[in-house]
Amino acid sequence: MLTRKSTQATGAARQLRSSAARHFGQTMDRRTFLKRSGLGVGAGALAAQLPYNLIGSADAASPEAAGAAGAAGDTSVRRTVCSHCSVGCAIDAVVKNGVWIRQEPVFDSPINLGAHCAKGASIREHGHGEHRLKYPMKLVDGKYQKITWEQALQEVGDRLLKIREESGPDAVYWIGSSKHSNEQSYLLRKFVSFFGTNNMDHQARICHSTTVAGVANTWGYGAMTNSYNDMQNAKAMLFIGSNAAEAHPVSLLHILHAKENGSKMIVVDPRFTRTAAKADYYVRIRSGTDIPFIWGMLYHIFKNGWEDKEYIRQRVYGLDKVREEVAKWTPDKVQEVTGIAEEQVLKVAETLAKNRPSTVVWCMGQTQHTVGNANVRAMCILQLVLGNVGVSGGGTNIFRGHDNVQGATDVGPNPDSLPGYYGLAAGSWKHWCRVWGVDYEWVKARYKSEDLMTKSGITVSRWIDGVLENPELIDQPGGNLRAVVYWGHAPNSQTRGAEMVEAMKKLDTLVVIDPYPSATAGMAAMVRKDGVYLLPACTQFETSGSVTASNRSLQWREKVIEPLFESKPDHTIMYAFAKKFGFADELVKNIKLVKDKQGWDEPETEDILREINRGTFTIGYSGQSPERLKLHMQNMATFDVKTLRANGGPCDGEYFGLPWPCYGTPELKHPGTPNLYDTSKHVMEGGGNFRANFGVERDGVSLLAEEGSASKGAELQMGYPEFDDVLLKKLGWWDELTDAEKAAAEGRNWKTDLSGGIIRVTMKNHGMHPFGNAKARALVWNFPDPVPLHREPIYSPRPDLIEKYPTHDDKMKFWRLPTLYKSLQDKVKDISKEYPLIMTSGRLVEYEGGGEETRSNPWLAELQQEMFAEVNPKDANDAGFRNGDYIWVESPTKAKLKVRAQVTQRVAPGTVFLPFHFSGWWQGKDMLEFYPEGAAPIVRGEAVNTATTYGYDSVTMMQETKTTLCRVSKA
Amino acid sequence: MARMKFLCDAERCIECNSCVTACKNEHEVPWGVNRRRVVTINDGVPGERSMSVACMHCSDAPCIAVCPTNVIYQTEEGVVLHDKDGCIGCGYCFYACPFGAPQFPNGPAAFGARGKMDKCTFCAGGPEENGSQAELEKYGRNRLAEGKLPLCAEMCSTKALLGGDATEISDIFRDRVLRRGKGVEAWGWMTAYGKDKEEAK
Amino acid sequence: MKARIHSLALAGVVTLAAAMLAGCGERPQVGKLEQGKYAGKADTRPWEGGTFKGDKGAWEQAERNRVRAQNEYKRVE
Ligand code: SF4
Ligand code: SF4
Ligand code: SF4
Repeated sequence: MLTRKSTQATGAARQLRSSAARHFGQTMDRRTFLKRSGLGVGAGALAAQLPYNLIGSADAASPEAAGAAGAAGDTSVRRTVCSHCSVGCAIDAVVKNGVWIRQEPVFDSPINLGAHCAKGASIREHGHGEHRLKYPMKLVDGKYQKITWEQALQEVGDRLLKIREESGPDAVYWIGSSKHSNEQSYLLRKFVSFFGTNNMDHQARICHSTTVAGVANTWGYGAMTNSYNDMQNAKAMLFIGSNAAEAHPVSLLHILHAKENGSKMIVVDPRFTRTAAKADYYVRIRSGTDIPFIWGMLYHIFKNGWEDKEYIRQRVYGLDKVREEVAKWTPDKVQEVTGIAEEQVLKVAETLAKNRPSTVVWCMGQTQHTVGNANVRAMCILQLVLGNVGVSGGGTNIFRGHDNVQGATDVGPNPDSLPGYYGLAAGSWKHWCRVWGVDYEWVKARYKSEDLMTKSGITVSRWIDGVLENPELIDQPGGNLRAVVYWGHAPNSQTRGAEMVEAMKKLDTLVVIDPYPSATAGMAAMVRKDGVYLLPACTQFETSGSVTASNRSLQWREKVIEPLFESKPDHTIMYAFAKKFGFADELVKNIKLVKDKQGWDEPETEDILREINRGTFTIGYSGQSPERLKLHMQNMATFDVKTLRANGGPCDGEYFGLPWPCYGTPELKHPGTPNLYDTSKHVMEGGGNFRANFGVERDGVSLLAEEGSASKGAELQMGYPEFDDVLLKKLGWWDELTDAEKAAAEGRNWKTDLSGGIIRVTMKNHGMHPFGNAKARALVWNFPDPVPLHREPIYSPRPDLIEKYPTHDDKMKFWRLPTLYKSLQDKVKDISKEYPLIMTSGRLVEYEGGGEETRSNPWLAELQQEMFAEVNPKDANDAGFRNGDYIWVESPTKAKLKVRAQVTQRVAPGTVFLPFHFSGWWQGKDMLEFYPEGAAPIVRGEAVNTATTYGYDSVTMMQETKTTLCRVSKA
Repeated sequence: MARMKFLCDAERCIECNSCVTACKNEHEVPWGVNRRRVVTINDGVPGERSMSVACMHCSDAPCIAVCPTNVIYQTEEGVVLHDKDGCIGCGYCFYACPFGAPQFPNGPAAFGARGKMDKCTFCAGGPEENGSQAELEKYGRNRLAEGKLPLCAEMCSTKALLGGDATEISDIFRDRVLRRGKGVEAWGWMTAYGKDKEEAK
Repeated sequence: MKARIHSLALAGVVTLAAAMLAGCGERPQVGKLEQGKYAGKADTRPWEGGTFKGDKGAWEQAERNRVRAQNEYKRVE
């Protein structure tokens, strides 16, 4: 027997050798590398302290379970949605005795068909939350101490009120969250308005603000035009500045499906990403040179006559000026700036032109630049020229980041607008005051002045300058910010971290409201002794509410479990503070309160959504009543995966999640809009056209669409302006309104008519679009560069090009702050001699955003145990270090990051890539001692943004993270 | 009769690790034990491909052959399981396995007791009553007994990883291959399916 | 039910083992016992007990549905 076995073992050993070679012999991949280098830290140190989270013990630990262990009867399934990205994957959570015991794939979901990425597949860990902030804490003498909620509300409230009293409401800065539900983000906008300031913001600023501004100014709405699903209809796809395989993994389900069926997939990126690994064609571009590349493509498109001439004639304004600029970008110039050879540019252009409909995808690689707004407009122009917008399989598929960043952008805490992009003009305020049921004069009195009420606030990318800048130069009376409230936002996602700790030091009060204490707690404790408060919010699985995915579909999350520990839902905390601040009644005038288990008042999420519905006509957040959304969640199987349209069943004819715009009242039964601006459909079936939002003519040229171009079935097949009471009367349609509608619509337009009557008559009776029918603008005359121009990054690796393509001039009052461009660029013009490498950052699939939440999840943390930098072998050899060595990455700010070197061809010589999800190390030192006890994330590492440099977009104040400089050396 | 198999489609796998965390989640697998792993070749250069690997539930499993205490067995559906109570943690199966599937945790509690072997169970539990607490603590969930399939495959982000009856998943895979117009490239296909299947094609 | 079988002695005597198990009211063992190797505890088949109560056909149908769910073409086209 033994003999026989040993014979077999020999055979097996042979197999082992060959397979080992197959597994590991050929290369050392990122993960193997990290496992090996990090195992000592990870497994050894952690195995002992990690709970096994065995369900049995969790059951036993829960009080309700004590008597009922083993009983199967009290198991229920709650449907929720992943909170880690904008794909919006549905999850079935299995709950037993109040404990979240399992999660099951939702095959019925038309969005993810049961699929998840690593984050979604491990989401149940939220139900354990071992590393969460468990109760309110306060920094006392440099250490965090537990306090009661009562004390926390009292002390934080008193401090903020005192600052409000002394320096005005604008001295407090509120950083909201794209991880809040629609209801919470909306309520926070209202809450901060009632506090009396526009100084608020959230992640969208540093994610897609340039997209939202650039795209909305081109054709109407600032959002993804089509959907992940619709990409199945694309014949070619261009990814530029998007690593979807890591950032939006489940989108690849649709993308690879399309590819399998013949769609051509092209990736243009400075880095050979995992998305690039799946592409048919990959092109390496120098970071920050997107516009020359896009103009280079248009050069070939125009030269070969590939543009869609009829489409351009009917639907595009101002393309001549673009042609002039494009003509300058001859192939040699394109190559000089971008590093891409002519045949490559031609091949991409030809592929897109000859495989229509073709779509484009972009993410942070395009947006996070000083020229972000121009980058995205150049992309829009490319798609307009090819006639790809408003077409299934085409469009600009802009993948958003956080799970609800689209929703928070739409209705949340934006410094420049009230919910629904109504802006901050007096008329907008009056509209919302009517919806809120509060007196306009009362709100006005909450602000320091009418001027401050109608002026955009400081952005989250610049709050540190709001603290550190010379008060004389800040465009708000009272000067500097004195308190900051981090309400669901990571500090390590903003650039210039080294200066941020200085700002934190200088603040009077810093408040963190978050399920995790976040890097804010650690950074603050590093430089302060007191004045910091940490308040535990719960996650989206401990409350209910709606969330808007990237494709504009809304989904309703059921509450899975009761809030863990002493945490509370964000909207409950808002109400508690509103009581303290004295505007509780105004905050919830139309919103029902319910008592939670501990007797706190919780504003009902369904009611908040109904209030959003009543006011948000502009972008069609008016039709998605909680009842309709819940019906969709229960009938997911009836929706078609390619079109998102329900085929029969209770939601027949509607699109999944009623993707906004879902116009009019819920009773109008608008089905939602799967693809924006699609003239091939009737407006009541999700069709549309470009928005008339910029007047009807400019310099004698009409801005309206040409004859023959309108949505299917529209009574007038031509361009027309937006609808208001006057136009309705002129057309003789006024009497189609009911008397009640007439009363509400008199003197108003489709956006401010609270009855929704104007919309009803326009759309239902006449098939016309309430926002008019205009051309898209290739020329955005209200932006600094009406035609997108290439401008070198402030910290450019190419001093020789700075003269030719200089950045903007400095701005004095820009979102209330002086902002440097040219003067700084000139100053650092030759700095690339000392810092010769491009430093860029990006995403890992296992982590999200600042990463604190996901790095606290052992199932994810185990997979990425150390912060690292990707360096090309050439640069590593030049600097004298090897794969796996600790190295210093130093930027022109003098900040130094100690990270592991991963030497790889993934990046070209001259480029260093760092993932942005890490925090908890500060320039070589572990910050563990500064975290509240037991609440530090499992994996900590150097935050890339500790070292990033100055630089902001000229329209939205987006931070530059993708192109700056550094040098590397062995540590 | 169902004959359970995994198959990872390298053209689709994006190394997202959903399969890895789904497994951890479903079976509460402790830190340091990975029943499933994703292996990448040509990392960072053209030709980069990833495959998700766990136990392949071999038709003629070397691990069964070498186990000195004979506690590894194959079920009627072809799932290779083992009895932890009789496992002595010698590591023979690890050496015999062409995929490095067997793991030997050294932690203190359930999974790790005395370094007993742990590996992918095809979500089929082990030799304890289906769905019992004992089965859960020693082997994890028994999804097969619930009429479901392994969670890693069911949650794969791109449906690269397929798990289920061999004929059915190979039909799915073959259909894709035809659309792509390429030959069978599934990694581990030969080892997992053995000669006869290969000839049958 | 799950009494441990110290069956190194039994290894190779499969028919006998099966008979003995049946004799003590054990469920029949699953797997290739006829090869005379397995010496661990007995296991139940997936369709036995809890969810399917021995209805093998229902179990097989359930499994087929779950495989279908892994094929998006079934839903897309
Ligand atoms: S992070 Fe995104 S892709 Fe991953 S499971 Fe969640 S929603 Fe889906
Ligand atoms: S893959 Fe390894 S552990 Fe699994 S059956 Fe084959 S030899 Fe045994
Ligand atoms: S879940 Fe699927 S795509 Fe992701 S790593 Fe596993 S097999 Fe690959």
